[in-house]
Order: sequence, then C-alpha cells, then structure tokens
Amino acid sequence: MKHIIHLIRFVLVLFISLILTDLVNAQVNLSGKPGLLFIPSARGLTDGELLLGVTHNPIRYAVSGINNLGSTTSLNGNAENVFYATLCVLPRFEISFTLLRPIGYLPLRARGIGDRQFDLKYQILTEREKRPAFAVILSAPFGLNNSLITHALVATKTVSLNERVKAEFTAGYGSPYYFDKSGDADKYDFLGGYELRNKNENLGQYLTGPFGGVVVRFQDKLGLMAEWDSQRVNLGGYATLFNRLTIQAGLLNFDQVTVGASYAVSLRKLPKRITNLIP
Amino acid sequence: MKRYSLISILTFLIGLLPKLACGQGVGQTGLNYENLTVDTVANTVLYEQRLYRNPLIGMLELGAVVSRPATRDLIPLHQGVPIARYRLSPSLNVTPLSLSERQAIKQLAPFRPTRYKLDFRLQPELIARFGFKSNPFETKTNLLLQTQLMLWRGMALNIGATFALINDLDNERTGVRPGPVFLNQFLALDRQNFLSLSLGAFHNNQYGLNAQYRWADLSGPWSFGVEGSLTGFYFFPARSYYYERPNQLMLFADVAYRLPVHALTLKLQAGQYLDQQRGVRFDLIRQFTNVEIGFFVTKLPVSSTLGFNFAIPVPPGRVVQGRHTRLRTSEEFRWEYNYNGSANVGAPYRLGTRLDALLRQYHRDYLRSQL
Repeated sequence: MKHIIHLIRFVLVLFISLILTDLVNAQVNLSGKPGLLFIPSARGLTDGELLLGVTHNPIRYAVSGINNLGSTTSLNGNAENVFYATLCVLPRFEISFTLLRPIGYLPLRARGIGDRQFDLKYQILTEREKRPAFAVILSAPFGLNNSLITHALVATKTVSLNERVKAEFTAGYGSPYYFDKSGDADKYDFLGGYELRNKNENLGQYLTGPFGGVVVRFQDKLGLMAEWDSQRVNLGGYATLFNRLTIQAGLLNFDQVTVGASYAVSLRKLPKRITNLIP
Repeated sequence: MKRYSLISILTFLIGLLPKLACGQGVGQTGLNYENLTVDTVANTVLYEQRLYRNPLIGMLELGAVVSRPATRDLIPLHQGVPIARYRLSPSLNVTPLSLSERQAIKQLAPFRPTRYKLDFRLQPELIARFGFKSNPFETKTNLLLQTQLMLWRGMALNIGATFALINDLDNERTGVRPGPVFLNQFLALDRQNFLSLSLGAFHNNQYGLNAQYRWADLSGPWSFGVEGSLTGFYFFPARSYYYERPNQLMLFADVAYRLPVHALTLKLQAGQYLDQQRGVRFDLIRQFTNVEIGFFVTKLPVSSTLGFNFAIPVPPGRVVQGRHTRLRTSEEFRWEYNYNGSANVGAPYRLGTRLDALLRQYHRDYLRSQL
C-alpha cells in the first residue's frame, strides 16, 4: 500500500513537472473566449495558444432557447452544449470557432449539427500599469441562427491585491445590432443577402447592452467571479489544474447551474527533448 | 484510493497528448533516417527523414547521429532529391543548391532504392458533410495503409489499401479496397525551380495526371506556382468498380507572400477548379511548430464560401521500426472545413504532398521561428 502511494506521488510530481508551461489564465467564458461566465474580457491569450472546451448551459438560460426559433424548438426550449476552439493566431489576434448544440428533443426542421460561428477578437491596447487592455470582438456574419453573436467593445484592468491575489475588472458594451442572413439569403454565397437587425427583435438578448464583472484570482489557479451579463447577475468559480485543464461552474441569475471545462495547449512549443538539442 | 489512482492516470494521459503528437524517445534516433550520407571532406550530411512533419525536428535530431553537427551543413532529401543546404548555427541559414552542386551530390551519393526502408504508414481519412436535418453528421471514415516505394531519384510509387470503416455519405462500399496508387516524380531543377509530376489514382476519387511547378526562394518572401491536371472520376460501388473518362481539367496559378514575422503566408490563387468552376481563392496560413492552421475564402460561380483548414501530425508517430521496415502513423493529417458544409468547392483532390506545402516547411523563416 505504501509503495503504491509513493508511486502515485512520484508519478504526480513527475507529471506536474513535465507539463509546467507558461500557459496561465486560460480561463474562458461560455463561448471559449477569455472572460467570465457569459461575458468576454479584453485579456489576451499568448501567441499560439489553443483552447478546446465545452460549456453546458441550463434550460432557462440557454442562449438558443430564448431566441427566435419559437415554433421550431420544443415548447420549453432546450438546454445546450457549446463546443469551442479558440486560437491565438497572431499576437493580440484570436479566432474562435463555436458549435452550439441544443440537448434533447428538437423538431426535425430545427435539427442539424448545431449552430456554427466564427468570432474574431483583436486586442487594440495591451494592459499597462495605468491603462486597461482594450479589445474588440466581432462575430463573422455568415452563419444562420447564431445565438452567440458577440459584437462588443471591452476593457479589462488587473489590480494586484497582494503577491498571490489579483482582481481583474472588466467592463464593456455589446451591440444589439447584427447582420442577419436567415430569411431568403442564399447560403451558398457568403458575400450577399445580409440585413441589419436588432437582437432584441428576434435573436435573444445575449450581450446586448452594457456588461461588466470582476474576477478574483488566487495564483492564477483558482478564481471567483461575479458578472452582470447585460441581462442578469451570475456568480461562479474556476480551478486550473496542471496549467492546462480549467474547470468552472456558475450560478446563473441565482437560479440554475452552468458548468464547463477547457483544455489549453501551446502550438508554438517544441518538445523539451528537441529544445535540448538546439546548438 | 482507487479513485485517486484513476484520476492520476487520466490526468497523466491528458498531459501526454500534446507530447504524443510531436515525438518519441531518443533511443532509436539513428534509425529515423534513411539514405544517410556523411561527407567528411565537405562537412556535409545528406539524409532523408519521412517521420516528422516538421523538418526542424529531423535536423536537430541528427546531432544524436553524427558528430560535430553544429559545424556541418545539412542537406535534407525529398524522395532522394536535395532540397537545399542548411546550417543550424550560429543562426539557422539556408543556401540554395545550384545545378552544378546538385550534379556533384549525384556523384557523391548515387541513388539506391535499398537505402530506404519499407515504410508502412497509417493515414486516417475523414470526408464529412454536415447539416442534413435527419443525419447532421455524415462521414466517410477510412483508414489507409500506405507505403512509398522509391524507384529512382525523385520517383516514388505510392501504393496502399483503404480500410473503409464508415460510409453514410454515398454508396461507395465499406471494407477493404485498393487505396490510392500513383507515381510521383519530384524534381529540383536548380536553385529555386521545383517540379512535381504525378500519374495514377489519387485520393478523393480522382485519377489521372497532375503537374505542379513552383518557384520558391527558401529564404525570401515570395513564391509562385502553377498546377494543371487532367483527371476523371473513379469509384468503388459494392462488388464492382466504376470510372469515367478523364474530363476534369484543372488549371490554376498562385502567388504567395510570406510575412517576415510569425511564419505567416498569404496566398492568392486563381484558375479553374474541379467541375469547371473558375474562380479565386485566398489563403492565410500560419505555420506553428508542428501544426499548420489556415483560413481561406473562395469565390466561384456556384458558391462563395470561407472556412479553415489544418494539418497536424497523427499521434503516436513511429510505432515500430527496424533497419529495413517501419510501421508508423502518418506525419500529416490535413482537413478542411467550409461554411457550405457539402460542396467541397475550391479544394482540389488530395495528392500526397503538394509542392507549396512541402516547400513552405523548408523555408528558413519557418524553421527559425521555432528556435
């Protein structure tokens, strides 16, 4: 028994030392962007950082459940899973791809692989001592029924409370306007068929209006979050394990629970055994 | 107790994933190389490595095989044809090989097919269509067992079998069937001119002829190329085979510009694609260490779309190898997604290595970006 405990301890220590990387703060919002629970922040990823993950949204706060589908979704809406991949393609520039899949019964004409969406984020200003980071986030308008559309301007400032604890403040504004391609638009032509519309009319109200929040981080490994997502108050927390795996959970509107997990890798790193060979 | 050990094993495996994708132990490093020639007079090492997608790993590993690697020039070969001359230190440098230098190399290291391993490669293949309401995820999922026989300098016969695992996309049969079979002649004409000619049955149900020419300066920003092909459709329905006359003419040209930073390439291509679709395609390609990620836009009469693609090495890489044989997973799995879902517009059939992708991997700035 003792040997087994030693062995496990040894494997764990070895494992932790093997995977210690410069990836920190890989904690993300429901659609895989650095942020809190529902809201994005202006914090940037490091060049080449790739995040893969999934978020579960409960039925009453599912972003697709409150959208225009009306007659096409089941009566009470659906809970949903959001799968995402976010890549820092260039310094300051991130692209994320999300796939939103409703869970449970759907009428045939609402079925499909799910809603796919591309989002672009550019960090206009990086954070300095006396200046917050500024970022603009724009969703590509090509998809049909993109309930996670994010057209937002956001600022984030980190304040060190002591050596271990940091507070990160975020404030931003989400535009209710978006280009809609539903209707009669030709889905085989991404260049045409757009109509400027207001989210409040038919798409649900994800990120329409001012939003903000605060995260308190303990050594970049644990954190507590509180946010106003432009519609309601959400609270949550997260833990990052081995610098790679982040698990988070939240209470939406003091009512239902959301959970998510994301995994971070750097596409820029060579394996250590190879970097040792560099002359 | 039990639960903890399970968690530690799981987390260990998760941590292992990115490592599996990029490499193996040092033990058998020498066996990773083929057609290795060490010219002690000119301080030059000629070698071919087919195991890694990223040529830099092969270059750095050579240090474990030859003595004083830092002071030597490395000349990687592709199907026995030298690409260029590389030196790792003090900073990674590349010198193109002139025609006379290429002639001298032919004298120094005559080509012998027996200097290559019988190399078996497992290549997954996924052709997918999303979005049909009743079955939103239709795929053709195949596993290809391929090998590449070197016949003479530059000439390789690609041959293999396809294990068709799942097909709910069309009525091509599942089970074992002949895989893509084609000849490929790779030629380096002089310093910057490269040629690749293929004949046979390619991937994605196209057979015929394909010719690619590319001018590429492996240390400069610009490159351009033309590609032409005449192909026909072939298909394996149940208990039979089917083919059409070669009536697909593809012809396009591209020009690519590589930014001086971030291993980023912009590529504009125009011409006639499959199904006589004339149009343009713009690609933005970022080369990360072992992975390439691209974004593209196409404009064709039938549709205009955009999407992304990626090329990754297939883990775990080498499975077993000896002096003369090797079993390994493919060094590259390439996949492309576009918003249209079904119509694979502006994406040509797959054909072993394309010249632009091959030469991009040997560009000085890409290799330097990793150091």
